[in-house]
Amino acid sequence: MSEAASGSADKSVQVKLVLLGEAAVGKSSVVLRFVSDEFQANKEPTIGAAFLTQKCRLEDRVLRYEIWDTAGQERFHSLAPMYYRNAQAAVVVYDVTKAASLEKAKTWVKELQRQANPNIVIALAGNKIDLVQPSLSGSGSSATESEDEADDATATPGEAAASDAETENPRQVPREEAQAYAQEAGLLFFETSAKTGEGIVEVFTEIAKNIPIESILASSRGAAGRPGTSGNRPGTQEAVNLDENQARGRDACNC
Amino acid sequence: MSTISAQLRNFKEPDRDEQSLLFFAIPPVHVKDDGAGQNNPEDSLHKMEINAMLSLDGAEDSYPGKLHLFPPYLAFASLDRKSVRFTIPLCTVRRVERPNARAGVYSLSILLWHGMKISVQLTSLRPAADQFCALLSMALKAELQAGKMKTVKPFSKTCYSENLILDTSPVADNEREDGSLIDGGRKVGEGNAPAFHGGLGLKFKFPGDPKKLREASKTKLWTTYFRVHGRHLTLLRYPQATRFVQVGLPNRLRGEMWETLSGSIYLRFTNPGRYKQILEENKGRTSTSTEDIEKDLHRSLPEYLAYQSEEGIGALRRVLQAFSYNNPETGYCQAMNILAAAILIYMSEEQAFWLLDVVCDRLLPGYYSPSMHGTLLDQRVFESLVTRCLPVIHEHFQEVDVQLSVASLPWFLSLYINSMPMIFAFRVVDCFFCMGPKVLFQVGLAILKINGEQLLQIQDDGQFIHLMRDYFNSLGDSAHPTSSDPRMRAITKFQELLLVSFREFAVITEETIFSERRRFRNEIIASIEAFSKRSAIRNLKTLERFNKEQVGFIYDALFKAVCVEPPPAPVPPPMSLLTTKDTIEERPETRIGPKTFKVFLSEIATWARDEKIVMNGFQQRVDREVADHELMDRLFWFWDYSYRGALTFQDLVTGLDGIIFSDLMDNIEWFFNLHDKNKDGFLTKDEVLTVSESLLFIFRFEIGDAYLGAVSRFMSNAFEYGDALLPRPEGSGEEDDATPQIESNQPYLSLATFRMVLLADEVLESFFETDLSASFRLEPVPLMELSPSNNGFLGGIWSNIATDTNVKLFHKLSDEVGKTIGRHQVIHRPSIGRYTSIEDTRPRESLLTPAMRHSSSESSLKATSGASSTEAQSRPSVSSAASAATSATLIATDAERHQFALSPTSPAGLDPLAQATNVVANAFLERTPFAIDDAGDDDDDDDDEEEEEPDDVLDEVDAFLDAHETVVTDEDGEVANG
Ligand SMILES: Nc1nc2c(ncn2[C@@H]2O[C@H](COP(=O)(O)OP(=O)(O)OP(=O)(O)O)[C@@H](O)[C@H]2O)c(=O)[nH]1
Ligand SMILES: [Mg+2]
Repeated sequence: MSEAASGSADKSVQVKLVLLGEAAVGKSSVVLRFVSDEFQANKEPTIGAAFLTQKCRLEDRVLRYEIWDTAGQERFHSLAPMYYRNAQAAVVVYDVTKAASLEKAKTWVKELQRQANPNIVIALAGNKIDLVQPSLSGSGSSATESEDEADDATATPGEAAASDAETENPRQVPREEAQAYAQEAGLLFFETSAKTGEGIVEVFTEIAKNIPIESILASSRGAAGRPGTSGNRPGTQEAVNLDENQARGRDACNC
Repeated sequence: MSTISAQLRNFKEPDRDEQSLLFFAIPPVHVKDDGAGQNNPEDSLHKMEINAMLSLDGAEDSYPGKLHLFPPYLAFASLDRKSVRFTIPLCTVRRVERPNARAGVYSLSILLWHGMKISVQLTSLRPAADQFCALLSMALKAELQAGKMKTVKPFSKTCYSENLILDTSPVADNEREDGSLIDGGRKVGEGNAPAFHGGLGLKFKFPGDPKKLREASKTKLWTTYFRVHGRHLTLLRYPQATRFVQVGLPNRLRGEMWETLSGSIYLRFTNPGRYKQILEENKGRTSTSTEDIEKDLHRSLPEYLAYQSEEGIGALRRVLQAFSYNNPETGYCQAMNILAAAILIYMSEEQAFWLLDVVCDRLLPGYYSPSMHGTLLDQRVFESLVTRCLPVIHEHFQEVDVQLSVASLPWFLSLYINSMPMIFAFRVVDCFFCMGPKVLFQVGLAILKINGEQLLQIQDDGQFIHLMRDYFNSLGDSAHPTSSDPRMRAITKFQELLLVSFREFAVITEETIFSERRRFRNEIIASIEAFSKRSAIRNLKTLERFNKEQVGFIYDALFKAVCVEPPPAPVPPPMSLLTTKDTIEERPETRIGPKTFKVFLSEIATWARDEKIVMNGFQQRVDREVADHELMDRLFWFWDYSYRGALTFQDLVTGLDGIIFSDLMDNIEWFFNLHDKNKDGFLTKDEVLTVSESLLFIFRFEIGDAYLGAVSRFMSNAFEYGDALLPRPEGSGEEDDATPQIESNQPYLSLATFRMVLLADEVLESFFETDLSASFRLEPVPLMELSPSNNGFLGGIWSNIATDTNVKLFHKLSDEVGKTIGRHQVIHRPSIGRYTSIEDTRPRESLLTPAMRHSSSESSLKATSGASSTEAQSRPSVSSAASAATSATLIATDAERHQFALSPTSPAGLDPLAQATNVVANAFLERTPFAIDDAGDDDDDDDDEEEEEPDDVLDEVDAFLDAHETVVTDEDGEVANG
């Protein structure tokens, strides 16, 4: 409780963020990459929801993300409102190798826009682009690359196998299509890979830039100070792994 | 996206017998497919329960309780329902003796197949005891005749405990300390495969340090226990058994004990080979469930070695698939993979399959169902228990707006396997299978209580989750690290947790859980239904011109229809068609067929229901029935825009949009299109007749003959004008009677003509101008209310009484009484209700010149009737005219019906239509006027109050009771109803 006044003193802002999207698109993996810069090939499905935190520096502000990573299966849908209530940000994830997952993402966006906090910042993230990286030339994918794919095929065997058989490129959602949709719906848009880490940090930085921080500060000042009682928890003090050219001045914040 | 299910509503609380069967884990008796005939043994095998005192041969202590005979099982529970109990299949009984009766003592000695002798002293009165014995011996004989006794020995070989009690255990030499087999279990019994079932742990090792777990001494304990108290099918559960379970089951025995304690062993015993058969029968079948399962196979306890190999993955896949095939409604739910993976460490696939079945069906009903209502319900129950047992924590949570279930939901859903380190979670699971679902609540409460002080510090959900996670990670630590007493220091936090769970929360009994579940069930159902309604509306592609509230009414009508007339389960598309592209469109969505549609339409369109206002002196009520007419089918197909033979919520919204907002011209065109089957812009003669049938159907309850007159004028005008406009063959003279012949199924009447004919009539014009649209009403649908306080004993009884059938019975009864006292009256409520008394509206002047009229009308009618006699399949006009008359019959009372018999047999040559119209007109003149005023007074707004729904029944029962105290007038009845 020593930092009771942290809300205003060190300008740390608490941002509640929720991840939504179809099962196995990689929500938990995206969070894991962001929070501990790790990747696990076989991540257990999320039951109900998982909770993680990560700090992120934006200019002179420190944002403390409180991340709710929800379960993706359709039948957990009715639990989602419990997690997205009061959320200031949402990352809706789909899998670029699965067209249906974008459809599901769209329904999430629709639901958030109607049911959630009206000022919520929503980012759309097409995950698993490592699986569809343009392999330099048409068939020139390296041996290691294809081994990687085989690896992933064990995680999501059905589609990976099917798409392998059909075409060279398992991509089912063209970047342009998703981007156009995101623009139309007023969402931030990214393509990411939790496996390689590509695009992950950007998602959270961009959200940070778009969050109406002042209003959050104003409201949290009114409320009880948000002390870092649990700020010393394992997993939260890892620094965000900064790309060197990520000049946003974000860094770790071991508090 | 939107699936609408009435399933939750159909939930029925188990009655007393069913509760006992559940308690004793007795599998449901499978009804024989072939109807079995009279000598079905189930008929003669009666259940019975009797007071008894149980003791074991040679043991001192005896326990009073109740002995139950549930053929083919014998079961016992001590008075407290937990100290001592057993469930024994009768086929394990070898002999029943009545030892020399000491004075007044009536006891039975039951010898079981492995030599164990149970003695029960029947403490009820002599005749009851005699009867019990007679029934028992009958049930035993039946088992003997069915050859069941022989199945016990082979089955016992599949149980590990049997091997344990052999004096020279072939197992022990081959075991590691942790209980796994040195050679992976392949060579037990001199080269034979081990006969007993076991899990992946036998090969891949069991989690935990066997020394620390004290496997050897626990196994010894159980071995001794089994020798005295029986095992697997015949295990007697004495108090020490429960204590042994609480210290943790030994690894090798765990699987078998789980199935024994949970009762899934009886399912495996009675369904030999079923597991394999299910897999065999469904080989290669894919579904959403199997797809979801594939996604999660590698994501289930991935750190356990077996699940990094095809052996473990394969077993997991088969068990989950078999379950989903066997329970298509539940299918597969995430978290089941973790549960299945966990139990497969300790049990064979077949054992795991049946255990999963018991968990999903009996122990945690509805947890993994598509709506997850069981999960939500138990979360609500848990919250209520926290409020009651830990009020300070509850208050704090309220204050800082922390939701309990953000942490607790995964605890329950994964039986703590996903929350605690595995070795501890399995011990909770041990207790869970032994003592039932209450354990999950007790442990949950204990977790909160132990962490109470820190919990009072938390400010938000996140801190709550963190605190819990840290606590779970420290379960292996000492609970009293600073204590000077080494024995105190040795107590782990996990031991402390169990201690608190079972000591301090012993008040939480099975009955507590059941009654709390009853208390909150309706609340949960209502919130789930509200949620699906919201998302169904949100997922509509377009609301069309409706506002949210109106769409809500449409949804309610649809929901009610689905409750009343559940649509058939969607047929899964053949697997070859399941490409990834298709699955985008094939999201599960409720589609209704014509039957459900009619119920839906009857909720919305006034003419699609038959409403009878019944007055019998005690009550005035409206009996609403779904009408059935070709017009309703026509509308169904008309709205089936995607040609699937089934309508979605969106189709209904779009369909209604096409009529509710329309004006005169739109409506006429709509009606025209509705009847223009081939959409060529012309009605055939047959279709013109169908139009008039449709109109007559809509107008069937209207008062006065204005509409009937209008319809018959419509018909004659349509034919006159239609004929007049037909292209005439070249060279025919003006007065030529030979108007062109046209088949009754040829294009005949264009929209423009149709419009003109309709507009020629004031009555029809006003109908199309406003009444047609207005006959579709979006208003609150009287849903089957869920009574909010269905908790008490009495509540249960009432809800049982107030079933639909009972309501009908009650109505019938009061109708009968009403008839005998001459106060029974039935009035049809009109659908449109524009005219409240008989009045004649004059037709407008004909559109045709007298000459045109003269020449065409007769010939056209002749032509159509001619066509009718030759063409058998198409709808001939004579019968149409007749059916117009029949439609009219609907509104006539019995007394008048005989007159109508004339019309179908009208002599040839006469104008049949004119005849029919005549008859109709006559009927009206002779109609008894009783209906008119009362019905006219009736305001449509009170529809909803007079539905015969369970909730209202109570009111009506009240009204009935009132009626017996005071002299009741109709108005009183209405008041009571209101
Ligand atoms: N190749 C590749 N695989 C990924 C990526 N992200 C996740 N995965 C894999 O996809 C599977 C599902 O990942 P999760 O992160 O558990 O997915 P989720 O969305 O959290 O799933 P639920 O919790 O069930 O809703 C895992 O096997 C991951 O290893 C990625 O960027 N690239
Ligand atoms: Mg996840």
